Amino acid sequence: MSNAWTNRLLFVIALVLAGIYLFPLYWMYVTSLKTQSSIFAVPPEFLPGVPQWQNYALIWDVANIPRYMWNSLVIATGVTAFTLIFGAGAAYVLARYRNHWIDIALFLVLMLQVLPPSLMVTPIFVGFASVGLLDYPRFGAILAISAKTMPFFIILCRAAFMTVPRELEEAALVDGNSRAGAFFMIVLPLARNGILVAALLIFMQGFGEYVYSASLIADNRLHPASIGMTNFLQPNVVNWNAIMAFAATYVTPIVAAFVLLQRQIVNGLTAGALK
Amino acid sequence: MSRVLRSLRDGIGFDTLLIIIALSYLFVFAGLPLIYNVIISFQRVDVFSLGTLWHPNVGFENYERVFNDPLARRVLINTLIFTLGSVAMQFTLGFAAALFFHQRFPGATWFRGLFLAGWIMPGLVVGVLWNWLLSGDFGVINHVLRSLGLIDSAIFWRSDTAWSLYAVMMANVWYGMPFNMILLSVGLAAIPDDLYEAAELDGANAWQRFWTITLPMMRSTIGAVLALGVIFTLQQFDLFAAITQGGPAGSSTVAQYWSWELSFREFDFGRGAVISVTMIIVVLFVSLIYVRSTRAETRL
Repeated sequence: MSNAWTNRLLFVIALVLAGIYLFPLYWMYVTSLKTQSSIFAVPPEFLPGVPQWQNYALIWDVANIPRYMWNSLVIATGVTAFTLIFGAGAAYVLARYRNHWIDIALFLVLMLQVLPPSLMVTPIFVGFASVGLLDYPRFGAILAISAKTMPFFIILCRAAFMTVPRELEEAALVDGNSRAGAFFMIVLPLARNGILVAALLIFMQGFGEYVYSASLIADNRLHPASIGMTNFLQPNVVNWNAIMAFAATYVTPIVAAFVLLQRQIVNGLTAGALK
Repeated sequence: MSRVLRSLRDGIGFDTLLIIIALSYLFVFAGLPLIYNVIISFQRVDVFSLGTLWHPNVGFENYERVFNDPLARRVLINTLIFTLGSVAMQFTLGFAAALFFHQRFPGATWFRGLFLAGWIMPGLVVGVLWNWLLSGDFGVINHVLRSLGLIDSAIFWRSDTAWSLYAVMMANVWYGMPFNMILLSVGLAAIPDDLYEAAELDGANAWQRFWTITLPMMRSTIGAVLALGVIFTLQQFDLFAAITQGGPAGSSTVAQYWSWELSFREFDFGRGAVISVTMIIVVLFVSLIYVRSTRAETRL
């Protein structure tokens, strides 16, 4: 009996804590649906009034949402593709062996994971400018962002490969598969879930990336939505309903993916995070 | 030739190829920039000399100008306050939340996972949300503080030089807390239950169990989480860009933001590189601690 009550009490506390923590997200959606006058109400109106869906329709063209979202999608897709193609194989090798060389490679990867983008962008910009890569700014940004996401991806993916039993791969080799065949037909499919979660996290990072895009891409037509938001923020700084509608349009796909795959994301993170 | 091909398909060549591809990519797009960074910190790189690989050499001039800059002291202090403050608060709140969700009540894991919704958001959007929450006249935070009787008049978080750094810090604590919590939860889950049961039989209360079992058993996890906290906080840029842009009057400028500003606002890449080189050395030093503590934990 007392145990059941403790559980109920803890449940209520958890509900309150989660409510407080997630309030900024709630406030984004509520503000995005308010009228211009009710966003400045004192005291603030915590419950939504009549939802002003036209806020979303109004900013759609004015703020160039389709173009910005498309650029974010291009960058996120490019980053995920590069990271997957270059990183997955390395993660597999790092999971499969244990020796001195692997230790060194792993150490290098861990060290590269920590480099702050806002510091790396100076040499990358100057270097890209001198070799002409800035003529293809979106591609340049994808290359730079991938170098940032790859170490993280390798660490997460390595944890996924470590769950695949060696025996299965050896059995495939005995059956006459080549190493490459065993990798593509046996190991990759078995580690699929972990790799997909890691790839999803990388995609989200690419989708929300700001520093490299803001520094390497000069042409506004190629800017992703993160820069679109800052461009929109400055001249509209009192239209918080419009700004929040922009923010909500931008992050709702991410929030939706998170709600659907919450358990997998948490598991993938906790498996790889500390290794 | 065919031997090489066969090795690539079947032998050690296959593994070597896979790892070489990734490492060469990382070498070109992270290793070379690291080296190049040091070189351009000794050169005069501006809009006129951009576009060539080599620039006029100026010796230590960039270093002297950065470290003698009147802003340098402010930036150093800001970076220390921001990093230590953020890490301390993220860690404390994250640890408290991890301990709370470690009480295995129905739904605990699900609730804990909800907190990661903050962590997966783009930094820039988090910054814009907090920009609105922290608004001086109509912000919710001022309203709540006033209703609780904690303040008498509105605090202008973003435009008051006394508060701007703490405005960004608040957003950063919110942003980084879930990651601390999840990592610490993993550490908590790894402590065997029978240790607690034995201590309970010996009459240890919850407080004693925390100090004699939880903390010592979590030592390497705590080391890793604190080091990671410092590393991630030194990477924070988006929140500054979205909330204060380093202002007003440099009151919320931290090293990583100053470096970017010198390069991309003043187009003095040499001085930007000076701060970049200095801070990267700091970050690499911290990550050595991190790698050491994870090594103790997992025997890489």
